[in-house]
Amino acid sequence: MRSRIRGLAPTPILAGFLLTGAALAVLPLVLELSIYTHNLMTLTFLSVAGALAWNWMGGFLGQVSFGHAATFGVGGFVAARIVLWAPVPAPLAWLVGGLVAGVFALGAHPALRLRGPYFSIATIGLGEATRLLFTYWEDFTGGSSGLSLPIETALKHRLYWWGLGLVVLVTAASWLIRRSGLGLQLLAIKADVDAAADLGVSATFYQDLMIALSGAVVGVTGGMWASYFSFIEPNDMFGFDRSIGFVLMAVIGGVGTVLGPLLGAVVFVLLRQYLLASYPQLYLGVYGLLLIFIILFEPLGLTGLLRRLWQRLSALRGKV
Amino acid sequence: MERFIDLALSAVLLAGLYATMAYGLGIIYGVLRVVNLAHGGVIMMGAYMGWVLHRKLGVDPYLSIPIVVAASYLLGVAMYRVLVRHLPRGAAGGPASLLLLFGFWLVLRNGAYLLFTGDDQSITTAWSTSSVVVLGSQLSVSRLAVLAIGSVIPVGLHLFLHRTHLGRAIRAVAQNPDSCTLVGVDVERIYGITFGIGTALAGVAGLLSATLFAFNPGSGSSELLKSFVVVVLGGMGSVPGTGLAALILAVVEVFAILVLPSYLTSAVGFVMLVLVLVIRPGGLFGHRVLG
Amino acid sequence: MPLLATRALTKTFGGLRAVDALDLHLEEGEILGVIGPNGAGKTTLFSLIAGSIPPTAGAVLLDGVSMLGRPAFKMVRAGVVRTHQIVKPFPNLSVVENVVVGALHAGGRATGSVRDRAVEVLAFVGLEDRTHAFPGTLTLAGRKRLELARALATAPRVLMLDEVIAGLNPAEAQALATLIRRIRDERQVSVIMIEHVMPAVMSLSDRVVVLDRGRKIAEGTPAEVVNDSVVVDAYLGENHEGGTA
Ligand SMILES: Nc1ncnc2c1ncn2[C@@H]1O[C@H](COP(=O)(O)OP(=O)(O)OP(=O)(O)O)[C@@H](O)[C@H]1O
Ligand SMILES: [Mg+2]
Repeated sequence: MRSRIRGLAPTPILAGFLLTGAALAVLPLVLELSIYTHNLMTLTFLSVAGALAWNWMGGFLGQVSFGHAATFGVGGFVAARIVLWAPVPAPLAWLVGGLVAGVFALGAHPALRLRGPYFSIATIGLGEATRLLFTYWEDFTGGSSGLSLPIETALKHRLYWWGLGLVVLVTAASWLIRRSGLGLQLLAIKADVDAAADLGVSATFYQDLMIALSGAVVGVTGGMWASYFSFIEPNDMFGFDRSIGFVLMAVIGGVGTVLGPLLGAVVFVLLRQYLLASYPQLYLGVYGLLLIFIILFEPLGLTGLLRRLWQRLSALRGKV
Repeated sequence: MERFIDLALSAVLLAGLYATMAYGLGIIYGVLRVVNLAHGGVIMMGAYMGWVLHRKLGVDPYLSIPIVVAASYLLGVAMYRVLVRHLPRGAAGGPASLLLLFGFWLVLRNGAYLLFTGDDQSITTAWSTSSVVVLGSQLSVSRLAVLAIGSVIPVGLHLFLHRTHLGRAIRAVAQNPDSCTLVGVDVERIYGITFGIGTALAGVAGLLSATLFAFNPGSGSSELLKSFVVVVLGGMGSVPGTGLAALILAVVEVFAILVLPSYLTSAVGFVMLVLVLVIRPGGLFGHRVLG
Repeated sequence: MPLLATRALTKTFGGLRAVDALDLHLEEGEILGVIGPNGAGKTTLFSLIAGSIPPTAGAVLLDGVSMLGRPAFKMVRAGVVRTHQIVKPFPNLSVVENVVVGALHAGGRATGSVRDRAVEVLAFVGLEDRTHAFPGTLTLAGRKRLELARALATAPRVLMLDEVIAGLNPAEAQALATLIRRIRDERQVSVIMIEHVMPAVMSLSDRVVVLDRGRKIAEGTPAEVVNDSVVVDAYLGENHEGGTA
């Protein structure tokens, strides 16, 4: 199927994407990155992967979730428990954490037949209920005093490439979904569930599929997060603010596009870093204003801005 | 048995507060079809307004109700004029309105942090510590006052919607905005007024809640969810249904203490929310718009 | 055995019997017209057959097999598809992408790539020059053709058309009527069509069923139905001019 990104053939996009990935992969090897930068980039990769996966639900299916922290937390704690329990390689623990999180996400199945605000509000409820349950389950999560993992500096360093690999994988998956019949069906469900069903699309199946995949990827990032910080705490991992983070990243970048959540997550992490360092007291408000401005003036966020810019440029070139 | 009466009474007292909170969310949804995600933020602002009036100016919280109502009403009208009015209507407006109002909530939260720091606050007056004995249970005066106000508000709201010209216009717009436009009702104005009324109710709910519970700028999400449970359970803006639903939620929450560790009782509301949405999306008493 | 049949199909909304113990059948290769006054239950009948809503009682049989409990998406895979009286294009997908969504569910009834089939169907309905346009830019006639194309792309055995001609000007109506006949003749699709536009339904249909308040009040060839006094009383008498205008 043809790409919907009109005017750009798939090949240059693919080439650009692979080049960027390769450049990022060798970057720490050729440049002396400070530990701070190295780690910040690692965290950015985790956020990008999470935002892209959130977008499978919130963007492609139009089911805006305010509860994705639930899968982040489940993935994180399962991975952490595995690492503490047996000497398995960390990536295996992340994978299992992700799988469990994906299955856990299917618990939202009954809520998936709700649409629009009803679904979103239900996810707030599910997310908060999950947080309370896991905080209460001290044997598993350590309760509000959290869980400590053995500190592994080398693993933390290598997480850069694991995170980058995950980003490459999830970006490629987003792009393939978007260009495939699967993506069209997701967008059809988003536009009109009943009309989609009348053309043979099983909304139930695709919504279950996407929430499980989305939850699994976010769960994997939760596991990586646990390895990165060597300490996790349920009120943070399952927190409402974390769920909001996924929403903000996707909205800032452009909901429903592939590029959007990617850009949005980068901006979100950098902005957060900057605000927390310089204006911690304005941190929430800046995001609030950003949301308001985006919804009112450019619903497609940064991607929308870029598209406008691109159109201007093309128009100018056309005149010359 | 005594414990049972205690719990039952505290459930009834809580229900008044929940009903007030929920009407604010319900009336806006009933008329504009917009879920005011900033609802929790407005409740939090109402609490701070009452706190400032009491702490800095020495105004008794019950006397400051008119001031809080007026200020929240104006806030609501402004929210409508500046933000909500510019949203696309219909299906596409759904996620957009959520995100927009959520953004506004973040701004409110940040504003409150800047003005009042993140510390827990509460409004304590002479009332807070005095109590009366009802059916053998000690009941604090402030809880009784909240119940009293929480019962007057729905009655007043019901009379307003049914007996006044403006109230009837609001109900008509809720039923069918298009035909209202045809007969010359200024629908935009009605929307603004309704949003104002909804936030005024939320503001009062915040004030009342502040006389009972501690709050901080981050407060509001559980209030939002509880309001939503009540609105959905009560059938989207039906005034008597909302009252009954508030009572149900309060009873379930309060009695959950008997079977659940206290830490988990607040999860009851969330679970109820999801169950209600999934099992009875039309509410327990059937779907009505501003009955 | 008829291709499609309904047995005592019933749907009530509260106290209202929108479709009332209806027995219908559709033969292979037939065009069946369904007419009746507003609110007769025609659209509800389509929703029941298509599996969009569950019946209160009764059954739908395809090739003699009960389709009870099959949701809409499974009916499409079984070869039964409907269009909507108020067209429902996906505004966020281009014209061809709209059609691809249908083409993905042709099951084993079609050969060739999904995209080729979508393009072929677009050409068949005459929308080939709007392939990459968005539905919002189409005229009403264009959107009705798109609605038709999406349904056709599922390679149906039974195609249910809900007032596809209504609202079009005479030239467009004529073109669409020709298209419906070609769907039956060239694509071997059996058609049930709801229509208020009498000349169209009378000239196209092999057989006509008249509904009133959920019940079948008459059935026969177009000529028989037009001369049926019950029908004239219930429907044609008062609505005939309105329908043709
Ligand atoms: N979802 C529903 N809930 C309640 N009543 C309904 C519903 N759908 C249809 N009805 C009622 O059922 C009856 C039949 O409606 P239907 O749409 O099937 O009529 P129709 O024959 O298609 O009419 P028209 O020619 O106007 O399209 C009408 O009285 C309608 O109001
Ligand atoms: Mg109809």
